[in-house]
Amino acid sequence: MAWQDFKKKFKRQMSDMLEIPSEIILDLPKVVLVGDLQVFIENHRGIVEYSAESVRINVGDYEVAVYGEDLLLRNILPEEICLEGRIKSIQFVR
Amino acid sequence: MFLFRLLSFIFGYVNILIRGDGLEKFLNMAASRGIFLWDIRRVGHNEILVKTRLSAIKPLRHIGRNTKTRFNFKNREGLPFMIHRIKKRKSVIIGAVFFLIGLYALSSFIWFIDIKGNRTLTREDILKITAEAGLRVGSVKFRVDQERVEKHIREGIPEISYVGVEISGTRATIEIAEKIIVKKKESQPSNVVARKSGLIKEVLVLVGNPAVKEGDTVIPGQLLISGVIPPAEVLNQGTAGISGGQAAQQAPTYLPTYVRARGVVRARVWYEGYGEVFLQEIVPRETGNLFSRVRIKIADKEIILSGAQNIPFNDYIIETSIKRPPVWRNLSIPVEVISEEYREVEKNRIQRTRSEALDLAREKSLELARSNMKNIKGEFHVLEEKTAEVTSKNPESIVRVRAFIETLEDIGLEKPLK
Repeated sequence: MAWQDFKKKFKRQMSDMLEIPSEIILDLPKVVLVGDLQVFIENHRGIVEYSAESVRINVGDYEVAVYGEDLLLRNILPEEICLEGRIKSIQFVR
Repeated sequence: MFLFRLLSFIFGYVNILIRGDGLEKFLNMAASRGIFLWDIRRVGHNEILVKTRLSAIKPLRHIGRNTKTRFNFKNREGLPFMIHRIKKRKSVIIGAVFFLIGLYALSSFIWFIDIKGNRTLTREDILKITAEAGLRVGSVKFRVDQERVEKHIREGIPEISYVGVEISGTRATIEIAEKIIVKKKESQPSNVVARKSGLIKEVLVLVGNPAVKEGDTVIPGQLLISGVIPPAEVLNQGTAGISGGQAAQQAPTYLPTYVRARGVVRARVWYEGYGEVFLQEIVPRETGNLFSRVRIKIADKEIILSGAQNIPFNDYIIETSIKRPPVWRNLSIPVEVISEEYREVEKNRIQRTRSEALDLAREKSLELARSNMKNIKGEFHVLEEKTAEVTSKNPESIVRVRAFIETLEDIGLEKPLK
């Protein structure tokens, strides 16, 4: 794992130095919240679980879990997911 | 997003209910294959409601088979389905087509003709002329030649100096400017009478028989210059002896001649004014303190919405504005909102000296006198302005002043003879 950690560290330093958005270099999800109404998750790897109260989305190394009420998947694109509803919390689950 | 909705509507989309265990897998597979799903909603334990375009149904079936889910169609929306539904109702289409044809056909006639600018000509006169040129209510719009109509009206009615015909929609507007024909001077016999009372200063007779002379005092309505000229015999009575032979030859005319009397009668006219000023006066003055209160009145009950019940001022001016709901026919809602504004007032005592009061009273009286002079017609000269204090035996706390303005003006007024 040492080699993996080193690679990550190097990439982060590179992105900081070259001022490239880290979500591109490091392949991280970009989560955009609009109040408690909408969540946009870019760069996802698919849905793990979906119900009206909770949605878990695979984003590579971990999962993004959104909790709320009346959750509705507004749309699913290969790169982006848009969720709507009354959002209560967002967690990153390892 | 709107564009996307529009496209979906045009191409048609379906609501499908997907049932199965591996729903997340189904969604992931659909997304990774580029099938667009939207408004995904969980409805049951292992049921989701999804919207998708018509073109995505076939690949979705394939995915469904792989993930062991089943789906059925809930409702179909969009243009293709609407067309399909309408096709079944032929009479609706026929009706719509008839409606459009009817609308188009009816809009190609002229249904209204407006005429603007006519003063002496009647609407009927103009319509008669325009009908000859082919513009009448119910004529086909495309057959009306505006220029021809304009020309026809101009030729048909000589009193018109300009005519413009404009057709907009089903309404034809005819704009007309009539020639202003100069009125003939009135030749009706008339007298000149006094408009107001005064002392005659000058009488200048152009036509007629003077009835007053310089120095006379006249009252309103009194005859100044008569339009009745007595027969020559009466006038020449004194000299009858000289022209007696001629008079005998001609048949004597005993009938008086009637003329339109004209002339200038200038008279001195007085205007009076009166003003009084107290030496000591209490004048209310606003202190600038405000208090406002809003009440709502329902039937006979009043509720104070804002502001205190008691007004904190001793003396005040109230300004009220009442808002009522609009009355419709005989129905009115007995609710009104009354907003009042109280402005505090304090009494201010003004003490004047006698000369100050006198000046003020003079001004007041002159102003009043001048306001009476407003109805003077034509030129006038102010001959004299004079003020006089009215005094009484007992010393008073009031100054009274009477003003006189004397003018020289034409007091003649034409009055037709019966």
